[in-house]
Amino acid sequence: MTAQTAPVTRPIPAPPSTPAPQRRRRKPNFFRSLSRALIVLIVVVQVYPLAWLFLTSLRNEHDFATGDPFALPSSISFDNYVRAFQTGNLGQNILNSFIVTMGANLLIVLLGMMAAYALQVLGFRFSKFVRGLFLIGIIVPVQIALVPLFIDYSSVNLLDTYQSMIIPLAGFALPMSIYLFSSFFEYIPRETYEAASLDGAGPYRIFGLITLPLSTNTVVTVVLVNSIFIWNDFIFANTFVLSEGLKTIPLGLQNYIGAMGKVDWTATFAAVCITITPLLLVFLVLNKAMIQGLESGATKG
Amino acid sequence: MLPNRSRLSVLVFLLPPLLLYGVAVLFPILQSLFLSFFSWNGISDMEFVGFANYVHMLTGDGVFWRSFFNALGYLAICLVLQLGGALFVASLLTSLRRGRELVKTLYLLPAVISTVAIAFLFVRIYSIDPVGLLNQVLGWIGLGALERPWLSDVNTVLAAVSAPEGWRFTGLYMLIIYAALLAVPQELEEAARLDGANRWQLFTKIRFPHIRPVWITTTIMATTYGLRGFDIPYLMTNGGPGQSSELLTTYMYKTAFTSTDFGYASTISVFIVVECLVAVGFILLMLKRKADA
Repeated sequence: MTAQTAPVTRPIPAPPSTPAPQRRRRKPNFFRSLSRALIVLIVVVQVYPLAWLFLTSLRNEHDFATGDPFALPSSISFDNYVRAFQTGNLGQNILNSFIVTMGANLLIVLLGMMAAYALQVLGFRFSKFVRGLFLIGIIVPVQIALVPLFIDYSSVNLLDTYQSMIIPLAGFALPMSIYLFSSFFEYIPRETYEAASLDGAGPYRIFGLITLPLSTNTVVTVVLVNSIFIWNDFIFANTFVLSEGLKTIPLGLQNYIGAMGKVDWTATFAAVCITITPLLLVFLVLNKAMIQGLESGATKG
Repeated sequence: MLPNRSRLSVLVFLLPPLLLYGVAVLFPILQSLFLSFFSWNGISDMEFVGFANYVHMLTGDGVFWRSFFNALGYLAICLVLQLGGALFVASLLTSLRRGRELVKTLYLLPAVISTVAIAFLFVRIYSIDPVGLLNQVLGWIGLGALERPWLSDVNTVLAAVSAPEGWRFTGLYMLIIYAALLAVPQELEEAARLDGANRWQLFTKIRFPHIRPVWITTTIMATTYGLRGFDIPYLMTNGGPGQSSELLTTYMYKTAFTSTDFGYASTISVFIVVECLVAVGFILLMLKRKADA
């Protein structure tokens, strides 16, 4: 797709041993403008499909079917948005995605914090082993859980419920959350805990009065990073949910493919635009925190 | 360790997370392993077949091997786009003075969009009638001969379903690598530059060795994510035409939920897990050894 696979640097002759000051200044400038141009080009390639998605959602059908895909819409129409709401169940889908995201995040944050507290602060003899167990969840692909969970759910009547999506989503995200909380808890000085202990606080009070309030930033990071993946989850929802009323956004979008594969593309793109808006807004408002979270999540690993 | 902790308090904090993790992750892994020795369609009685599923998978199933090699191709394309692209853009970005935050944000944008939306989008980009973005661009730059229905051509479909996955997450890896590049000490680079190192030497001798630990992490992340890739091929082509874009994951899914052969599907998922573990071990071995040399 993009021209991103070129070698990382172009061979630039090594500077002569005594470069004239003027030349010295000009060469980096040339390099800088070249990389600026390249970055602009790459960003355009990267973002253009999304811009096109948005423009298409404003086209009328005739314009879409016959017109030049790069041209601006000949007239702006919001009919597509009206049809998008008529065809599908968008409101319900968004609500469902919201419920699943909230539920899974609650589990991920609370349980992740508890496990990290037990592993990092309380400490116990088999903590290395338990850490190893949690590491498995980062490596193994989620698909391994589909068949077993499908069978288990059907025997305890959990198929087609919110829980059927929340449990595996939270379970597979838990290791990363434990890991992030653990590495944050390392920074809380030992003395804080020892002082509290001397004052007679037990492990529960210390958790509630010291660890929990200090972790706000990490909680934000964990929630933001996981929300991207949970909000967009397709595989668990597609496997465990059948009824219309429980479908999350990714499944709801599929409804726009009509019988015989005939698709009302402009309405579909309008629906896509509607459904990506909530997450996009959160992302654009909080992108600093989110970017920091993503960076710290991996660089410490 | 806290002085006043009791064994009970450890259990109180540790058991609930372990319970969820056990139910959602650990137990299903064991269950898959167990099911892989049975033949079962979910309704009739389970029948123990020993290693028959494994023997069939490795020696008698052409589709399995086809999917395996497709998955490797898919992985290769994803890795080149994600890691190669990420390293390239991150290096360029460090030479930029202003607008770094804006580039980071824009570059990460595709990562927040759902795979279903991405699949829709790329189906249109690849389409030939009405002409989609890709074919239009090819026509403009004089490569009109290359115009084709990318998703129904057996020679291009695998690349066509891999590219969106590469596109989607390259921003994420770019962020991580960029953060690592910023942490390379300026003094080292200055010293190397004074010694007459050119940009390429600067990169291979100073910068890259410095970010190697992060590079290992990102390679592992990208590889395990690439091996579990499912949504986009499943949604765009459902493995077709024929088996030309079938991955192990999509084949497993169809075996389980279309042909309801739970036993054989479990055998395939056990293989996928083994494949992931082997890949991670392999990466660690390769990159660690190079670091020692």
